[in-house]
Amino acid sequence: MRVNALSAPVMAGDVHFPPSVKEFFTPALFGLDGWLTKFTIFVWVAVALLIIFFLVAYRDPKLVPSRAQWMAEAVYGFARDSIARPMLGHEGVRFAPYFAALLSFILLTNLYGIIPGIQISTNTHIAYPIVLAAISYVMFNYIGIRKHGFVKYMKNSLVPSAPWYILPLLIPIEFFSTFIVRPITLALRLFANMFAGHMILAVFTLGGFALLNAQTWYFKPISVLSWGMAVALTFLEALVILLQAYVFVVLTSSYISGALAEEH
Amino acid sequence: MNQPPQRPRGDDGAGDGVNRGLVAISYLIGGMASWGLIGWLIDSWLHAGGVITAIGIVLGMAGGVYLVIRRMGS
Repeated sequence: MRVNALSAPVMAGDVHFPPSVKEFFTPALFGLDGWLTKFTIFVWVAVALLIIFFLVAYRDPKLVPSRAQWMAEAVYGFARDSIARPMLGHEGVRFAPYFAALLSFILLTNLYGIIPGIQISTNTHIAYPIVLAAISYVMFNYIGIRKHGFVKYMKNSLVPSAPWYILPLLIPIEFFSTFIVRPITLALRLFANMFAGHMILAVFTLGGFALLNAQTWYFKPISVLSWGMAVALTFLEALVILLQAYVFVVLTSSYISGALAEEH
Repeated sequence: MNQPPQRPRGDDGAGDGVNRGLVAISYLIGGMASWGLIGWLIDSWLHAGGVITAIGIVLGMAGGVYLVIRRMGS
């Protein structure tokens, strides 16, 4: 099913194999070059869907919840009880709404990657992970500075408890890993996973067509194997999607917990 | 399907493990990258031909390992 849904538009055009980075740049819509693409629209759809879903689910909360309310409570409950509380303790509950929103947004935009007909996650464009990482980055630094004041926050983050003569070696490493590596890896990890996932699915699906169109007749049956791989890897991709959304939120909470910590 | 809201139990294990692993990696790579960069800057200033970059990377590795042991060992 999935293969068919993906292959329909491919069948129409000619098959470009192997797929290249060009696959990720879909044509502009309504002639608004550089302003409106499939990606822009799907991000807005994700935002709208989440707002509507949570508003409807909590519009009339019941003691015995409806299915929508149960789902919304499960998402929020997971963010609060499995991420915010274990990582940040009781004061972490105030971050739970942000974690729940972040988790559901990343999960939904990642899921686009395997939804038939859409087949590409908006997070395959690094701009979106960069913005998400920037929000988390500004947030954990702001929270740390607000709690400790700038000087004490910098001292907490940069100066580990070690003999003084080894500090000059350690402080640049702490600076680099806290203020430079953290936001970059946060954005890159999500982007690279979604990008690679889309590429792998494209390789096996388009590879099936390339084999089917091959001049050599005995290459043709191998296309079934290629599509079988595409289906199997779609399930692997589902796992990656869940894991990456979870990891992004866990790391954000861990950075906040580091910013709030008194001493190392 | 009117189920009571499910309460996932807090699994401090899994999230914490992922987190600690990534912190360790960020120190090891951060150590090499930061001192490697400093070494490379000195290198291109003095035209020393890469020796100082290498020393920087090794120093950074040592510092990264030290920090991982310091943070995770206890």
